[in-house]
Amino acid sequence: MASVHESLYFNPMMTNGVVHANIFGIKDWVTPYKIAVLVLLHEMSTTKPMALLDRRRLNKLILPLQQGPDLTLEQFLKIVEECCLRMVNAVKLKLLLMADGELQDMEHFFTILPNAFSDSEAFKTSVVGLFMRQMLLAYNKLSFSQVYKLYKSLQQYCHRDNQPELSALPAEDMELTSNEDPSADHIDKDELDTASLHQSELRSDETRGPLSQKQAEYFLARQAYLLKNDENKAMSPAKLQDELNNILKFNPDFAEAHYLSYLNSIRVQDIYISTHSLLHYFDRLILSGGEGKSNGDEGYGRSLRYAVLNLATLHCRFGHYQQADLALQEAIRIAQEANDHVCLQHCLSWLYTLEQLKGSDSVVLTEDSVKIAAHFCLPYLASLGIQSLVKQGAKQGMPANKLLDALRGTDIMHWKQSLSELIEISLAQTTSIWRMYGKSTMARQQAQLLLNMNSLEPVNFSVQQNNTEAFAVALCHLAELHAEQGLYAVVSDIMKHLKQQFPPHTQHAKLWMLCDLKIQFEKAMNDGKYHLAEPHVTAISALNSTEGLYRKAQLLKALNQTSEASKILQQLQQQCEKSKNIEMTIRVMLASAELHWDSSGFATALPLLLQALSLSRQHNLQSLTSETLLHLAFTQLMLGIPEQALVLVQDVLESVLAHGSLIDKGRALLLAARCQMALAGAAAQEHRLTALEQAVHTLDEAVVYFSQLDCKERMRDIHYLQARLHHTLGNIAQRNKCSMLFRLLDQELPSSGMTVVSHL
Amino acid sequence: MAAMRSSEFGDLVQIKKQLISIIAQCKERGLVHSVKWASELSVSLDALPLNEIPAAPELTEEDARDLDALCLAKSHFELKEYDRAAYFLRGCRSQKAYFLYMYSRYLSGEKKKDDETVDSLGPLEKGQVRNEALRELRVELSKKHSAGELDGFGLYLYGVVLRKLDLLKEAVEIFVAATHALPLHWGSWLELCNLITNIEMLKSLSLPECWVRDFFMAHMFTELQMIKEALQKYQSLMEAGFAKSTYIISQIAVAYHNIRGEGYLQKRVFCCPLTGNYYSLRSQHEKAALYFQRALKLNPRCLGAWTLMGHEYMEMKNTSAAIQAYRHAIEVNKRDYRAWYGLGQTYEILKMPFYSLYYYRKAHHLRPNDSRMLVALGECYEKLSQQVEAKKCYWRAYSVGDVERMALLKLAKLHEQLNESDDAAQCYIIYIQDIFSCGEQLEHAEVSTALRYLGQYYFKNKLYDEASLCAQRCCDYNDAREEGKALLRQISAVREQGEPSSTDLSLPSVFNPLINTTTPVRRASPLDLSSGTP
Repeated sequence: MASVHESLYFNPMMTNGVVHANIFGIKDWVTPYKIAVLVLLHEMSTTKPMALLDRRRLNKLILPLQQGPDLTLEQFLKIVEECCLRMVNAVKLKLLLMADGELQDMEHFFTILPNAFSDSEAFKTSVVGLFMRQMLLAYNKLSFSQVYKLYKSLQQYCHRDNQPELSALPAEDMELTSNEDPSADHIDKDELDTASLHQSELRSDETRGPLSQKQAEYFLARQAYLLKNDENKAMSPAKLQDELNNILKFNPDFAEAHYLSYLNSIRVQDIYISTHSLLHYFDRLILSGGEGKSNGDEGYGRSLRYAVLNLATLHCRFGHYQQADLALQEAIRIAQEANDHVCLQHCLSWLYTLEQLKGSDSVVLTEDSVKIAAHFCLPYLASLGIQSLVKQGAKQGMPANKLLDALRGTDIMHWKQSLSELIEISLAQTTSIWRMYGKSTMARQQAQLLLNMNSLEPVNFSVQQNNTEAFAVALCHLAELHAEQGLYAVVSDIMKHLKQQFPPHTQHAKLWMLCDLKIQFEKAMNDGKYHLAEPHVTAISALNSTEGLYRKAQLLKALNQTSEASKILQQLQQQCEKSKNIEMTIRVMLASAELHWDSSGFATALPLLLQALSLSRQHNLQSLTSETLLHLAFTQLMLGIPEQALVLVQDVLESVLAHGSLIDKGRALLLAARCQMALAGAAAQEHRLTALEQAVHTLDEAVVYFSQLDCKERMRDIHYLQARLHHTLGNIAQRNKCSMLFRLLDQELPSSGMTVVSHL
Repeated sequence: MAAMRSSEFGDLVQIKKQLISIIAQCKERGLVHSVKWASELSVSLDALPLNEIPAAPELTEEDARDLDALCLAKSHFELKEYDRAAYFLRGCRSQKAYFLYMYSRYLSGEKKKDDETVDSLGPLEKGQVRNEALRELRVELSKKHSAGELDGFGLYLYGVVLRKLDLLKEAVEIFVAATHALPLHWGSWLELCNLITNIEMLKSLSLPECWVRDFFMAHMFTELQMIKEALQKYQSLMEAGFAKSTYIISQIAVAYHNIRGEGYLQKRVFCCPLTGNYYSLRSQHEKAALYFQRALKLNPRCLGAWTLMGHEYMEMKNTSAAIQAYRHAIEVNKRDYRAWYGLGQTYEILKMPFYSLYYYRKAHHLRPNDSRMLVALGECYEKLSQQVEAKKCYWRAYSVGDVERMALLKLAKLHEQLNESDDAAQCYIIYIQDIFSCGEQLEHAEVSTALRYLGQYYFKNKLYDEASLCAQRCCDYNDAREEGKALLRQISAVREQGEPSSTDLSLPSVFNPLINTTTPVRRASPLDLSSGTP
């Protein structure tokens, strides 16, 4: 079920993944590359007649050129060339003229630059206009010697491809600092050695200079957005860290880089660096917020509170619940002292999340949180709380109509406020709830709704968010639903997608791992390949111990190790009663009843099954109810009351056929046929034949389902029964055919020793 | 070994002669710092009679040929016109001229680099400015080196170039060679000192047997925080005849300061603004911060100043500025434990004990045997109600040698709060013994607290003799006098009732030797601070 928290990315300095402008120093400066871009812009505005298509392509190029990192002249010209062949020659000519001429030529270029834009379509406040003016300003700020240096580097830039040995020089260079203090130097070097090593590697393959503040901001915003929305498209963790180190080296005040480093190291589960980066970021943030407004609602005090809160979430993420608890208490205390209700609300919602993670009951806390959040008009937190309550309510057997009503109520608000993240969670939750109630059609529909929904979030960098937990949950449900219908090709497609979208190291990968294992286990069990199921049990236990125990019991039962299985089931039952895991409790009861059957204790199985029935009815768990009823019917059949059994089977048949899995359908029909056969034996002669024919017909239907699943054991049983029936009915040809089929399957399968099934 | 050394030092006259000659040599080559060091030592020794003063070394044929060029170049060199100096020395063959030639080129590169740093193209080039001459110098020097044509000074310069190029391993080799070639040149030793990071590395080097080596070892011990060894070394040097040396005295002062954890600040007094420190001592924190800022403008990588500025801001209750300053300090040097500790303190002041745990932990990690970090950690844990961790921290703080002598007291109080009276009494006992054994009167008023508690504790356990002893001692202190008297009265009242005193010997007593007690008393501290504190 979708957990409610996705506010990992909450950060007072960042909204919609865009890092807000900070206040440090110079933002941009003139580089040879920038001059090249300016020359291009200048050419574009002066060459009036130009093919419309060319112009459009060039216009589309402007923004990436301005925002991206500095390119070499070669790269730059190549990009321009792809858009407009004529333009590239003009630009190249102009640049080379400038570089081969005198410093005056560059000076001249900057003087005539504004004239070109004054009568063109580039307004002062447009992207191009702003860029041009910033460059002019930066250029005019340069001192004499700086201008000379700029010119020198322009010359070098233009002739780099002609003189490869010159460009190769900086790659192997070591950074030398203007340090007077030798001991300080060596201490420092010691610490930085790994970082600088990586950098020099990075430099050597693509000689790139440091990013300007503008470029760095753009870079960070882009990477942060990608990390949040589609991690696979972001840079690889190691490379991103290298880039960040590079940015920080040239601009240590750039606090946002630390935040990105925190996100990046969380990706690779590195607690050490992520803590370090997080604290560093907030230390830096405190200093930037400290100016002007000191202890008020904004700025310094506020970031302190969120710093602790973020630390709590970090510990929570790594499963250090005690640490998280301490940090959270601290956040709550200082938020209380500062009367910061919003922060307190965030703390409260984390508090109940933490309680849930620790496995204790947090309904009261959650209810409080919802109430207060509603009071302070914090729709996001209120909805999160409601969703959390629904989750807990569903587990504790709250009436379905109440739960779905609550979800619908919040949904209306989500759509009004465009909280797309919450809409996704809500849909995933509805899927889970329908699935739990055993309404597979509804579950499928909700999952498809989520997957086909257009997100309300703006689409930046051509990436739409589809890596949230909600998507993972919905996809897992879909995979399981398809597996139930025996569509394994589809399942493997979905799994492939999941693996790609949520790589194994990511936060939500465990969801699909467990789902995949469960499907494979079920398949192996259905095929009777128990040796294949065994390794899956171990793997499942690693991800979910309760589930693992249950699967182990099932496997042992199938292998006829009854006493071990029974021991495990008892243990499991105690566990489930403690943790109030109703679904599992019922499953365990059913499994125990099946164990009783194996020892022919049909009468002893009855009370267990009745208890399971009442529990499943109480919690609206329809699929489990049907399953229990089938178990009951079978028990009755074995106890010699086929009339009752048939009535029960016919009662549940409808819902099983509508919502059940293939194997359930087949089992139900097989059971019905067996009841019919038992009744036919007792019926009067004239009804007998019709009754037997009916049974044959039912078996025919059942065999279709089992053959879809390729469940050979059951098919063998059915063919045996069919052959017997045809024999009684006198259809010799049919009989022979069925017995041949039986024979074929019987040779293929290891002999089970039991001719007619003593199981469902 | 000490005996051997002292015999070596016996010939102070010889040492004096060596010093005088090395002073002359260094002076000719413009190595001013080594000149200063040698002169300082030389001053501390008795002056030589006229006939003992060593004659200037004989001039060789080459020297004579280069004499004029050398003279001109030296004057340019002294005027800091390095390029000119190098120009006039181009063709010279003599060792002296060659060294000055290369050294001028090196310094010219450094000077240009510094000029460029001020006037670069903004942050774009920050950190990219480099001494362009280094590469060429390295190539030329390595050729000469492999040909075996470098003398001690040449090797020294080669080493410096290598170090600047971050070729540290090669640099160490060359400096070792330089010390062998010319053991009296202090500059090579000093450079070597900066490259040695741990004691194992130091032991692995083969250094020349010379009296300078003792100075080097002493300096090295100070750097590696092996204060006890350093002090011993300096002491023996003083006994060997350098008692008047200002250098040794100041080094001893540095060592003592290192004990108190303020070592590197003192050492870098020449780059740190003394003025700032002065104002700080006079509690004029604004002015102090101002001067530290000025110092940082002059040298933004000055280690101590950022930390000191952080302290000043803390004093001024400007926490955000303090955090900023400490962070800068950490960026300059990640191992600046004072800055980590300062950050921890800042957050503790902001009432965020959990948050500050991280910083204290960092500081503790850097100085595992410093009790102050441990006490700070303990206090944070106590605030977070993590008593078990707090107890561990306090006990550890005591075990590594508690500077402030607060850990035991805090531990005792913690036990008291948790109603673990036996443990509490135990701690108070060790505390009292500790205080009295150190012999001096500390300004703690807490001895009375301990005595008071112990009195009550013994009374409750019916050890009336001990209880009355404690009560009597209580009467020595103003704040506990009344309670002491009251306890005495209670004891006498109980005794009159004839209640027998318990003879349970398992209870600890202040006046028993501590070996009998159950608490493991470990005083195995690598840094025995109690003896080091002046």
